[in-house]
Amino acid sequence: MKDENKAWRMLEQKAADQLRGDFAGRVLRAGRGPSDAAWSELYEVAGDQLRLGFADRVMRAVRRRVPSLAGQFAFGALVAAACVAAVIVVHRRESSRIEAQNLAQWQSFLADDQVMAYRQ
Amino acid sequence: MESTEASTIEPTVRSAQQGDESAQRELIVAYQRRVAGFVYAVTGRSDCVEDLCQLVFIKMVRALGGLQAPAQFEAWLFRLARNVCIDHLRRERLRRIFVPFAAEHSEVAEPDGAVDSEELDALRHALSRLRPDERALLALAQEGRSQVEMADITGTSVVVVKARLYRARERLREFYQPKNNHDS
Repeated sequence: MKDENKAWRMLEQKAADQLRGDFAGRVLRAGRGPSDAAWSELYEVAGDQLRLGFADRVMRAVRRRVPSLAGQFAFGALVAAACVAAVIVVHRRESSRIEAQNLAQWQSFLADDQVMAYRQ
Repeated sequence: MESTEASTIEPTVRSAQQGDESAQRELIVAYQRRVAGFVYAVTGRSDCVEDLCQLVFIKMVRALGGLQAPAQFEAWLFRLARNVCIDHLRRERLRRIFVPFAAEHSEVAEPDGAVDSEELDALRHALSRLRPDERALLALAQEGRSQVEMADITGTSVVVVKARLYRARERLREFYQPKNNHDS
C-alpha cells in the first residue's frame, strides 16, 4: 500500500513538472481575457507609429486639389470626342485616298480598253 | 479608451464644418492616437497605421460638411475608420490573389520594439486569429461606443451586435494566452 501511495505521488509530481512557471497566473489571465492595460499598450504602440507633424501632413493633403467627379467626367468625354473626331478624319482621308486610287486605276483600265478597241 | 464628451467637441466640429482649418487640425490632433489604435487593432499591422490614419482624416475633413449631427461626430469618425480598414483588408486580400508571395510578405513579423510586453503580444496574437469584423467590433467596444452606435456603424441591428460582440469576446478569450516572462 505504501509503495502504491509513493507511486501515485511520483506520478502527480511528474505531471506537475509539466506545468510551466506561474501556471495559475497564466490560467487566470487567460480566463479574464486581455486587460485594459494591454489594450492601452496596443493604442500606445499604434499612436507612436504616427510621425511628428501628422496633422499638418493631413491638412496639406486635404488642401491639394482633387479633380471633381464632374471634372473627371468632362475630361473623359472630351478625350472620347477627340478620339471619335480623329477616327472620322482618318477614315475620310483614307476613303478619299482609296477612291482616288480606284478612279485612277479605272481610268487607266478604260484608256487601255479604248486603245485596244481602236486597234481592233 | 475614454470617449471625449460630445458637448466639449461639438463647437470644434461645428467650426470645422464651416471650413475653419485650425478647428479641423484640432480634431485631427484630438483623435489621431485613438484612430491609430483602432486601425492597429483592426488591421493588426503597425506599418500601415500612418497611411490609413491619413486616409481616415482626409475623408473626415472632406466629408465633415455632410455630417448632420455634430454630437454624433465620434461615432461617425469611427465608422469612417472602420470602413477604411475593411476596404484596405479587402484590397489586400484581392492583391494576394495576383501578387506572388504577398501572403508571406504580409505575415512577416513586426519589427523589434514594436511589441513591448507579453500581454500586448498575446493580445495581438489573439486579435490576429479573429475576423476583421470581429476585431472592429471589439475595438469599437474598447473605444466606448454603445451597442446602438455599433449597430449604426456596422449597419446591423443591436441584437446582432450583441451576439457578435459576445462571440468575439469569447473567441478573443479563447486565443488570449499570455506567456509568463519567466518561462523559457
